[in-house]
Amino acid sequence: MMEIRLKKISRGEPEMVEIKCHEISDEVMEIAAFVKSRQGRLSGSLDGRQYEIAIRDILYVESVDNRTFLYTADQSYEVKQRVYELEEVLKKKSFLRISKAALLNLMKVTSIRPALNGRFLAVLSNGEEVIISRKYVPDLKKTLKGEG
Amino acid sequence: MSFKLFLKSICTTYFIIVTLINLSTFALGTIYRPEERFGYDAFLVPLVYAFLGIFPMCVMYSKKEMTLVQVLVRKMIQLILLEALLLGFGFGYTNLSKDNIEQMVSFVLAVFAVFLLVHVISFALDVQQARQMTLDLLNYQKGTNRFHGGSDEMT
Repeated sequence: MMEIRLKKISRGEPEMVEIKCHEISDEVMEIAAFVKSRQGRLSGSLDGRQYEIAIRDILYVESVDNRTFLYTADQSYEVKQRVYELEEVLKKKSFLRISKAALLNLMKVTSIRPALNGRFLAVLSNGEEVIISRKYVPDLKKTLKGEG
Repeated sequence: MSFKLFLKSICTTYFIIVTLINLSTFALGTIYRPEERFGYDAFLVPLVYAFLGIFPMCVMYSKKEMTLVQVLVRKMIQLILLEALLLGFGFGYTNLSKDNIEQMVSFVLAVFAVFLLVHVISFALDVQQARQMTLDLLNYQKGTNRFHGGSDEMT
């Protein structure tokens, strides 16, 4: 069991979170990722290298074959968190669930247009289009009107 | 699509169909039986035909999101069921004659036209909805404070 210590420091000292652990496990990485996400950044991997991605650069988050990916304008990064975990972190940062497997950054949508069978498509700033399921349209409307 | 949303879409479609059946009855009646006069019960006919017309919509229900091909195939099945159901209801007990066949063909075409128009109107409503959402989106983006940062490789 990891002990948790909170220490109040003076204004002059820089704030920091230090994790002392026997090994850097997935659990520890998850805690670090959570702390970063609270600061507007997420950790993701691409070609075996770790990157810090600014949340504002993310267009959407999608789960594919039980793996979660963050999509920016020109890259996709794999992250350790599940979509529902990211939803909790990102919902205060203009992200909204638009299907069972995807979260959309509303700040990166340029327009919305209808697709077949009552679905809608969100056109993103890089020209890409993502499907908005009918089920999530009422939530989207509420959020856009500031009622969400 | 959830069942609740599916029922909601059926209700919207039902009233669109009623309106379009009224229009097609007017068109077909003017062509084939302009001298015909009806009682008040005639007002129920579009309601009954529309009620029958929504049953084939059941083939469109799916909990999972359908692909474009799945949607098109199911729409075809829906149209075939619709034509068969309404043709059976409207002409099931009449004897086949040259006049009847001509009326049946017109009826089939009218059903197809209504089917097509329902989709055109539904799509137009979706376009309107999408425009409103885009406007709301732009207002939302203007009103939301952006936060700052950039993507970096970790050290």
